[in-house]
This record gives sequence, structure tokens and C-alpha cells, in this order.
Amino acid sequence: MYTNLAIPRQWSRLACFCRSLTSVEGQKLPQAGKSSDGISPPPRIPRGPTDILQALAATVGTDPTAAHYKYHDDPYLIPLSNFRKRSYALSAEAGKKAAAWVRDQHPELFTTREWDPPMKMKTPYFNADPHIEAFAPKPIYNDETKVTEEDLVYTIKNALLEDAVKVFELLGGVDNVNEELKLYFLQLICFYNEKEPVSNEWIEERWFSTATKERQATTWKLGGLADKIFTSMDPKTPEAYCSLIKGMAKYYQAERAYALSREALENNVPLSTDVYNSLLVCIGFLKEGVTLRIEALLELLNEMNQQGITPNTGTLTSCLRSLSAWGGGKTLQNMALQIIAEFKNIGIEPNLSAYYYLLCLFCKERGPRIDILSGILTELEKKDTLEPEDVADTSFFITAMSVCSEHLQDMNLAERVHKLLMKGDNYKLVGDAYKESIYYRHLVTVACRHAPFERTMELLDTLIPNIYVPEPTVMEEIIKVLELGGAGERLSETWSQLVVFGHARRLRLVERLLDAMCACISYQDEEVKSKIRKSAADMLKFYQMVEERNENVTTRTPVQKLSAVALSNIIDLCSTGEEPESWEAIQLAVNELGSASGAGRADVISTVATTAAKKGQHALAASALTYLAECGFPEAMSASVDTLSVMLNRSTEEVETMLQGTDLQGKLQESAMAVVQAYRMAKTGEPLRERDSSESSSDSESSSDEE
Amino acid sequence: MSLFIRNYKPGSVYNAQIIWRYHSNKVDMAKKEEEEEFRVLDILKTRTRLQKKVARRTDIQPDRSEKMKTDQNWGNVWPGPRSFHPSSVPLPMRQGYVPKGQAPPGKKANAELMKVPNFLHLTPPVIKMQCEAIKKFCTPWPELLNNEEAIEKNYPVEIITSDYCHASPTIRNPLSRIATLRIKLSDLKLDKHARDKFLRLVGDKYNESTDLVTITADRCPIRKQNLDYVNYLLTACYYESWNVEDWEKDKTLEDMEYYDFDQNPSKANLVSWFMRVSKKGDLSDEEIKVFDINNIPHGPEYKKAVSDLFNNSESDQTLQDYDAAVRKLLGLPEKKVAQ
Repeated sequence: MYTNLAIPRQWSRLACFCRSLTSVEGQKLPQAGKSSDGISPPPRIPRGPTDILQALAATVGTDPTAAHYKYHDDPYLIPLSNFRKRSYALSAEAGKKAAAWVRDQHPELFTTREWDPPMKMKTPYFNADPHIEAFAPKPIYNDETKVTEEDLVYTIKNALLEDAVKVFELLGGVDNVNEELKLYFLQLICFYNEKEPVSNEWIEERWFSTATKERQATTWKLGGLADKIFTSMDPKTPEAYCSLIKGMAKYYQAERAYALSREALENNVPLSTDVYNSLLVCIGFLKEGVTLRIEALLELLNEMNQQGITPNTGTLTSCLRSLSAWGGGKTLQNMALQIIAEFKNIGIEPNLSAYYYLLCLFCKERGPRIDILSGILTELEKKDTLEPEDVADTSFFITAMSVCSEHLQDMNLAERVHKLLMKGDNYKLVGDAYKESIYYRHLVTVACRHAPFERTMELLDTLIPNIYVPEPTVMEEIIKVLELGGAGERLSETWSQLVVFGHARRLRLVERLLDAMCACISYQDEEVKSKIRKSAADMLKFYQMVEERNENVTTRTPVQKLSAVALSNIIDLCSTGEEPESWEAIQLAVNELGSASGAGRADVISTVATTAAKKGQHALAASALTYLAECGFPEAMSASVDTLSVMLNRSTEEVETMLQGTDLQGKLQESAMAVVQAYRMAKTGEPLRERDSSESSSDSESSSDEE
Repeated sequence: MSLFIRNYKPGSVYNAQIIWRYHSNKVDMAKKEEEEEFRVLDILKTRTRLQKKVARRTDIQPDRSEKMKTDQNWGNVWPGPRSFHPSSVPLPMRQGYVPKGQAPPGKKANAELMKVPNFLHLTPPVIKMQCEAIKKFCTPWPELLNNEEAIEKNYPVEIITSDYCHASPTIRNPLSRIATLRIKLSDLKLDKHARDKFLRLVGDKYNESTDLVTITADRCPIRKQNLDYVNYLLTACYYESWNVEDWEKDKTLEDMEYYDFDQNPSKANLVSWFMRVSKKGDLSDEEIKVFDINNIPHGPEYKKAVSDLFNNSESDQTLQDYDAAVRKLLGLPEKKVAQ
């Protein structure tokens, strides 16, 4: 097909013509390292297979308007609340899992390799599609499977724990497997404590699995497979001892681990540094009381010295981990500083986890303020990259930020921590979704409380909503800041944010927002004012809709209704404008007032009654005044007089004298009559009897009006 | 967010839903009554499934292009090749065929814009930045190779391969394995025999008009293998052409691939004719072979004309040349052109 094809230009999109440097007769390959003679090319600059890709990737920064790239970039599919973020990412991964399941259940369907790319002419001898191990079906082991030792090696290498156990059993258990393989298998089950780990393949599952503080409980399986294998091993190698002790210590079987280490020492079995590191962590479970524990710690360190074992960074981290777990206090803090100084003497620098434990030890809640964080940051800022070494490394940034926000309350330090996290590749140390969200919660809180307004706004704009969705408490802080900064436009946008983040049904937040809006609206531009009015009216509609839905569908947690104060706030906000929409909203709100909990703001309602009367909306004014009177506000009387004077276009004195008269029936319009009723109700506090009569009279009156 | 509020009419859609549902239920009931004569006792109380209410999304955010700052870094927004998406591109794009006088459709829900490949990820600043980023892997160009001639002189072998870039799930293209090698024949050190043999070996891979030998290989699955193969072919042909086999001596006049005047009877005829005319006596075959044509007046012209006639086939031109050469040789007057 291609033999007559000198240059397949007709197909090529990007044809690359390159002159070859290969050696033909009379021509020499350019010698690497030889200086350029002007003709032969200079020696190639060495680079890895992905170096160019990484260099190109480094040119791309973050885009605050875009969601994380794991989500679809489409307004309908960008998740904006924490719940959605989680469910979208996990759904995508569930799909992958389903596919993997089908693949593993039917491996016979995946033995052939696809033509790549699919072409009309298929040449049987050619296929450029490489075989990718990760996409191939995983072997399934069950009771019928015929297994060999190679299968055991394969499962151990790929950390397929359950499969490894199965294969081990099929091979005949402890008696029929050779010593070397037994050791590897022992190491595997000691590391994972016979529990299948979440595969590295499921990134999202690991990211969203809420790994709150690990329970410090003895989870080691006593008399389990590990113990059985260990007893069957003969001779017991140092590696076997080490892995079993480390496994026991890791899963808090402290006594057994310690006893085993004594046994090893008696039998002259050399132990490794890692074993001592794990034993150092266990001290707290063996001894009670700070003094005894410190003694035991020093004793272990001395023992290491006697055995001629060199400590490493892990030793320092384990010491500090133990110290921080034993509470606070001067003794422990001094001890920690002493240990760090001594390790520095032998050239061991503390890593991130060590700093994390230091922060835990020094910055206690309600403890005295100790600023060791700035020193730690200065140390860390000197390093080019931070390499993860320990599981606790991922807890450093979240703890540092919480220290900034709660312990030191220092925005500058918080910014330094954030800058360090954003530097280079350090963001990998943020941990998981839970830790990330707590980190940002602290950052936003400290910014709201202690940073200048502009800086806070800048931070919020970059973080929200794509990187971080604020929780209700943080949202409240933000509203507070916006209120103090008088940012009316942002306040009006906050309502739609609340809807989008899924906080709109939290009444507390909405009421807080309304308060803030009321406090700010007086000095805003006309345009901003109308925006605020719109969002206030929208809140009212939203809650009405929710209520409607509540009636139709019985939900587990019915949403509360807006309180009277919130409603009067909405009335207050809307009454600043002239648009018919806002007056419709006022009408709605006044109608709602009667069934709302609490008492509304009388001043607002009386003002709105007068304004409504001025605008000719007499019915609205009347129902507002009726509400005031029913609630028994003292303002009701004066407000009724004012409103009547506007309605009837007379002075207040005239109205008052008129009200002294008894027989007003038939002389006034329906709404004016209602105002009169309200006035009387407020005056006497005796509404019921009059109400009945007034209704009947108003009926008759309206009919007489029509005549 | 402002757009969201503008477009957000609570209640209206919801109410329509209820009315529609009510209506559809009613139609269903009416149908049942028509078709069924007897009511069936519903013991299990199987509830007909209610129309599931379509959850109304209240939280559709406005396009993110509206939130973009005017001084943003576009490379961060659109870092790689992607099909067009209206909500991420802050440009008032229009495309599509419409009757004359109408504006083409806008960017939203416009399949025309999605169909064409776009180069939004390769804006000039981005290209500049990427070039800067990979500059550290580049070495300077050899300064003496500053023109085409120098390049051709120092690197006579030309290798042509093609890379393909297309919008398909795979990044591979079988055509990219094909490797082509080109070299000018004059750049190879060959003598007459070797050149002849080389040309016989490469066959139609030699282009006489450009003097280029082109060797293409596609038989191996990987480009590297094909490259090795074309190099091997060139090397093998080159050395093979320098070999002289024993049987090559058996080449007779009939085996000649071209007309060689010196070996053909024409020369013998010419020489013996010349000897007879000049009355110098006969020569033996050997003497005829070594006899220099240049001694004969107009001899070289005749040789050229005859060779041309045989090698370049008969044509008006060659025949005319032959005519003129023979007339000169024999001392005949020049041909009179017919009036």
C-alpha cells in the first residue's frame, strides 16, 4: 500500500522533514562531548522522557473561573456545592469501577488487542498499540484456580492482599511455601494488617474518604495469619522479626511488639532503625505518667546507641509524635526542643511531620500563645521542594493554618503558609478533600477576621466557588465582612451564592444576610440598590416555592419559614425602590407576616404603610397597619393616623378629630375603614368583636361603592 | 450571578408541571374507562407509578466567560486542544450558513463551531511562552550550516518521515512508521561500473531528472526499524555495486545496456574505411580497438551522432545529426533544405 508512496504528503497534517545524522559511507556521527566545529551539531542536552511535557505543563497556571479538570467544563455540569463536588467525582469513578468489574469478570473478552487506529485495511502483522499492564484484566483467584508460586509473587508485588492470602492458602499454607516467599508475604500482611487497602487506581475514593484522625485502637489481629507464619518460620530471620514488630507497633499492639523486641534482643537478633522508630511510638501504651514515659523514651534511645543503630529522620518524628501525644506542659515542650537540638547536632533536620507534632505540642487551644510557627516557616521556606516522607506530612499545612487562624490570629503568617503550599509542587501535601476544605476554612476565616477588606475580597474571588465552597459558619463570617466593608453589590450576589452552594434553606444565614443588606443599603448606588431589592424579592419567592413544595411532598426536614423580622427586612429593602416587582414583593411579605413567627419591625412596617398610602396602594397600607395593630405595637396608632391623613389628604389633626367620632361607617372607603379598625384595635386592644362587624360592614360598603 | 437572578422565575415552571401532570392523569383515566368493561379488584394495591417530577435545577451558574477578567492569562483557561465550548470562550463568535441578509447563529448550541478544529490553545503568547519553556532543551544551530548548499554538502542523506496529529481516541497512526531516504547519486563515490551496477540494483528508485535515489521502507511496525532498514538498504547496495563478480566478465556485446560505439562494428567499419581511404593498409582487430577516433577528421562527431541515434532512439533530431555527421565525414555537400 505504501511502497509507491514517496512522501505521504496527502495524509500528513504535520510532516516533518529532518535530515538524518546517521552514518553513511564517508560521514561520521557527531561525537558527543566534542566541541562544535561549526558543522556537526553540539552534544544533546540530556532529558527524561517527560521533561518536555513537564516544562510545557509548568507554563499553565490556575484559572480561578474554572472547576477542577476532573469535572466537565459546562455550566450544567460544574459542581458548586461540596455535596455535588463529591458525588460527581465519585460517580465518574464508580463508572470506572463498573468497567473494571466487567473487565475482570469477563477477561476472555479482552484478550485481543484493538487495531490502533481503526483502519480500513488491516495488516495482520502490524499493530502499534502497546500492551498496557494496568488496562489488562486482573487475574481472579478462587478455590478452583491452579496457582504457582509466581502467582504469589505477582499478588505480593501488586499488593493484592486478599488475592495473596487466597493464593497462599491454595499453595498449601505455611508448610508448603518456601522461606523467602513466606517472608515477603509476612511483610505484606504486616504492613496492611490483613486488610485490603484501597487501590491506588481509585484516586477520587482516596481523595474523598474522610480520614479523620486515625483511631488509636489496637487493631492488630492477634493469632492471625501473620503470627502463624512467623511461628512456622525456622530459622527466624531478623527481617521476619522486624516486619512483625513493625506491624504490631503500627496497629497499636504495643505490649506484644515490645515483648517481641526483648525476645529478639535475647536471641541476638539485630533490629533495624525502623523497628526502634515504631517502638518509640508505642511507649505511650506501655507506661503511664509523663516522667515514666520520658524515662522509657530515653532508655530506648540509649539502647539504640548501645546496639550501634544510627537514628534517622523517622526516629526524630517518632519521638515527637510520642511527646505530642502525651499532652502538653513545659516538661514535654522542653524535652521536644532538647531532642530536636540533639538531632540537629548529628545532622538530622526535622521533616514536615516532625513540625506537625511540634505544632500540636506547643499550640494548644486555650494554652498560652507560643509563636513557633514563624520559625518553622523560615526553615521550610529555605527548602526548594518539600518531599513527603511520612503519613503525617499531609497534616502539617492544615494544622499550620489552624494555628494561624485560631492560636495566633495572624493574617501575615497565614499568607506565608499559603504561599508555601502554592510553591512549586507542594500542593500535593494538602492531604485529602476533607483536609483541604478545613485548610481553606481556616484561611478564609482568618482573612475575614484579620485581613484588610481588599485582600480578603481578592482571596475570596480566587477561592470561591471552584476551589473551596464555604461552609455555613464561614459564610456567616464572609457576610459579616461584606457588611463591615459596605459591599452592597457583593451582598446582593451572596444570595445567589447561597442558592448555588446549597445553603439557601439555612434560615439563620438568610436572616443574617438580610440584616447585613438592611445595614448597608442606605449608602449604596441606585443600581446596587435595585440589585439588592431584586435579591430580597427573590428570597421571598424562593421561600414561598419551598413552602409550596413542602405541602406537596413530605420531606424529612421541613424547611423553616422566614421569620417576621426577616420579612420586615425584606419589606424595608424593597420599599426603597419604585419598581412594581419590589412592591409585589412587599405585598407578598405583608401577607406572609401574619403567619410568620416572631414580631416584625414596627418602624419599618409603619413607614411602608405610609409610603404605600402615598403610592395609592391603600389595601397594602391597610393590611400592614392591621398586622401592626394585631401585634399590639404602640406605633400602630400614630402610623394609622399618618396613613389616614395621606389617604384622605387631610392634616393629622383633622384625622384625629375625625377618629374621635363614632360613626364613620359608609363615609370611608373599604381600605380606609380597615385602617380605622386598626387604629381602634391598637387603641383599645379589643379587636375581635369589631372585626366581625367590620367585615360585614365592609362587604356592604363595597357593594354600596359599586352602586 | 446577575444573569441567574434575571432568568430565575420561581414557581412558573413548577406550576406548569403540576397542571401537566394533572392533565396527563386525567387522560389516562379516561382511556381506561373506555377500554375496560369490568373493574379489576386490585388486591395487592399496586400503585401506578406517578410521574416523577423532574427536579428543577436552581443553581445553574452563568457562563464562566462572564466572570473572566480582561487581563487574564488565556493559556490558563484553554491550556490544551479541545472542542469549542461557548461558556468558556469570552468571544462573540458566530458561524453557520444562513439565507442572505441574516446574521449567522451565535456561539451557543452551535454545532458548526464545535465541528471545526480550533486553535484556541495555540495563541501567539502561549506559543511564545511554550517556546521559552522548552528552550532549555535546545542546542544552538551549527553556525557554518547557514545555507542550503552547506547543508546539502555536509549532510547529503535526507530522511523523510511524517508525524500525524488528529482528533481521534488514539495518538498513533500507522503511516508515521514509513521512512524515506533520499540521496543524490552524484554524492556517492562510484566508478562507471559501480554506478551502472548501483542503478541496476536500485531500479526505478532512481530519478534521472533530479539525480535522486529514493528508498522507502514501510515493512517494519516501528519507524526506528524502518529507518534502520533504509540505511541498511543503501549501505548494502553501495557495497554490492563495488563488487565485481566473476560472471560479470562474461558480458557480451548483446548484454550491453547501452550502445557503446567503441565496442560495436560501427567503429571497425569506420576505422577500416578510413584506412582504406587513406591507403594505410589493413589493421588487425586488436589495433582497431585501440585506434583513436580523434585521428579521423570529423570522427568524434560521427561517433556522437551514431551513439545518440542508438541510445536516444530515432527521432528527427538524431537522424538529422547523423545525416550531417555522415556528410561531413564523407566530404559530401551539405543537405539542401527543400524550398
